Amino acid sequence: MASQTPAVVMDNGTGYSKLGFAGNDSPSFVFPTAIATKAAGAGGASAGRPPVGNKPSFLAGGGGAGSHLSAKRGTEDLDFFIGDEALSAANGPGYAINYPIRHGQIENWDHMERFWSNSIFKYLRVEPEDHYFLLTEPPLNPPENRENTAEIMFESFNCAGLYIAVQAVLALAASWTSSKVTDRSLTGTVIDSGDGVTHVIPVAEGYVIGSSIKSIPVAGRDITYFVQSLLRDRGEPDSSLKTAEKVKEEYCYVCPDIVKEFARYDREPDRFLKHTVSAPNGRSVSIDIGYERFLAPEIFFNPEIYSSDFLTPLPNVVDGVIQSSPIDVRRGLYKNIVLSGGSTLYKDFGRRLQRDIRHLVDARIRASEARSGGAKSGGLDVAVVTHKRQRHGPWFGGSLLGQTPEFRSYCHTKAEYDEIGPSIVRRFALLGGPGSS
Amino acid sequence: MLLLDYHNVLIHTLLTERFSGAPPSSIDQIVSDFDGVTFHLSTPESKTKILISLNVKCFRELVQYGAQQVLEREYGPYIVDPEPGYDFSVLIDLENLPAEQEAKDDLIMRLALMKRNAMAAPFERAFDEFAKLSEEASRYTTESAPQGVEEGGEVMAVHYREEEAIYIKASHDRVTVIFSTIFREETDRIFGKVFLQEFVDARRRVLTLQNAPQVLFRNDPPLELTGVPGLQNVNDGTTSYVTFVLFPRHLAPQRRYENISHIQIFRDYFHYHIKASKAYIHTRMRKRTADFLQVLNRARPENEEREKKTASGRTFRVQA
Repeated sequence: MASQTPAVVMDNGTGYSKLGFAGNDSPSFVFPTAIATKAAGAGGASAGRPPVGNKPSFLAGGGGAGSHLSAKRGTEDLDFFIGDEALSAANGPGYAINYPIRHGQIENWDHMERFWSNSIFKYLRVEPEDHYFLLTEPPLNPPENRENTAEIMFESFNCAGLYIAVQAVLALAASWTSSKVTDRSLTGTVIDSGDGVTHVIPVAEGYVIGSSIKSIPVAGRDITYFVQSLLRDRGEPDSSLKTAEKVKEEYCYVCPDIVKEFARYDREPDRFLKHTVSAPNGRSVSIDIGYERFLAPEIFFNPEIYSSDFLTPLPNVVDGVIQSSPIDVRRGLYKNIVLSGGSTLYKDFGRRLQRDIRHLVDARIRASEARSGGAKSGGLDVAVVTHKRQRHGPWFGGSLLGQTPEFRSYCHTKAEYDEIGPSIVRRFALLGGPGSS
Repeated sequence: MLLLDYHNVLIHTLLTERFSGAPPSSIDQIVSDFDGVTFHLSTPESKTKILISLNVKCFRELVQYGAQQVLEREYGPYIVDPEPGYDFSVLIDLENLPAEQEAKDDLIMRLALMKRNAMAAPFERAFDEFAKLSEEASRYTTESAPQGVEEGGEVMAVHYREEEAIYIKASHDRVTVIFSTIFREETDRIFGKVFLQEFVDARRRVLTLQNAPQVLFRNDPPLELTGVPGLQNVNDGTTSYVTFVLFPRHLAPQRRYENISHIQIFRDYFHYHIKASKAYIHTRMRKRTADFLQVLNRARPENEEREKKTASGRTFRVQA
């Protein structure tokens, strides 16, 4: 039976978890990576850890206070919710919300184990013994974390096989669906912009160049805050975070030049829009939307309009990352700049980025031509790849690779794990790399 | 989460969204459920027509036990010819839905329960057979009963997984449901044993559970299964048999539906709890390790004053 079941692809991010089956074009479930557990009661156990007695509850006491089964044999450890249910449970009394993943890395293994258990049994409804699993990890994830993950997946869940892939590599694989991509190479620069942070990750032949990764403290949340501050400055009747987010998602786009765009708005007043916010009580207010349409995503390109401590524009960061990578892969990195994550979905984001990076590159080539006194450069190709699967890029890449017939041969199986131990997951053969179809 | 849901959450959420008037879009998803069941949700013709196909490993057996009738009863007007590669398909036209919200919700739930309904057939048949047999048996005393009434009906086997099966047998005073389960893992076997023992004991110990069905647990095939073909008689300890004995009070028509759902999910419930127990033990192990580490750290001596020596063995003297 295990030969037919589709692989399970789980991409657990800081903000959202994407769960689904390989071969599908979108994840079956997307919900916050949150778990609501019973708040530590009178005992006041250390925060972030479920209350654990020294003895199982049925050994303690023994006074026969409650003859009810659940009183004797505690099932408190099963009293929790994950995902959207966790958020709503945390609004009520008795539950405290926890986020087991911080900065892309799993911090609380107790919570993560239970989060996985619930994802598998409640949402995906699969018997882990019958399925192969593809999990993702952030770049620079310590190998110990991989081992912990493998311990949980193999020892708790007995999953049939496991592959742990780096998110950036999967994002590259996801870009293969774009019509612009002709050769399925795993060399490229991934710009991964989620809610909390934006990473620029160079990948050469499927291997992340760890020393050159740069992160930028400007991401989706900052854009929302920026939109909100613009709405507040103008004194709009509704400037809640939710409204700001809606405005950001529905109306924002990237313009080629802000000065010209301002002038264009003055010439064409129909570019100013109205947005209707309907409150749950039936009232609805209308707010004006103006320059924030193009100003909001502009903070990637001109961060000084938003922040005073981070001032390097995204194109310069990308250029710097590629320049700090080994010289023999730079051409490949410039040629395949792949976008991934929700904050890269603005219209023309890729086009603007490509233009700005090309300007930087061309300027440098001209300068070095001038310095060399007459030598001609062959030029450098800069291409930013936009594709339809950007939003859940890593998940989709996982789904794509997980359905290939050779996927299973790349996985470590339960038998191998039993033979060698957790250290087996320190190395994985490169999925979708050279040599595979 | 103590109990597992009976319905498929994905089908439920997806249909709820579509039924509530979300803009139609194309779907093409292959989803799994427990026990190797596969669903295929797609919109082959137009975006408003959702085709849901079901693939069950043991569909042939289920049909033999009347699955087609059960499914026809549940999904009557929606049934279409099964998609190639699947066993059963229904087609939902979003433009042709029941008008009332309640009927819609009911339809969503019924569709999400498709796996349950397909698997319910042998149980329903057994329950019906029980009713017939008990009716028949009431006409005899124990001594005068003719051959056949005492023994009850035939054993129905549902090979719902590669090496595991459910056996159902109706008698005049009870319905016996036997699960054969296999454990590949040593640890799982032990957990399973403790868990099943607990199942057996709990009923004896707790008053409120006295009405629950009787549970028996053993490692060799129970006597009910003698003569059933395809039974592995190798007793290497990996296979165990869990027997549920359902008494007439569990088979009352108003309880039937619930009970079928409950008993079907037993294997998954069982495995889920084995895994949850492992997770719990891991939690405690981590806690214990953290505690021990703390003790170790505390035991480290305060940085005592030691004379610092150079490589050649001379010492520095602190200047007064």
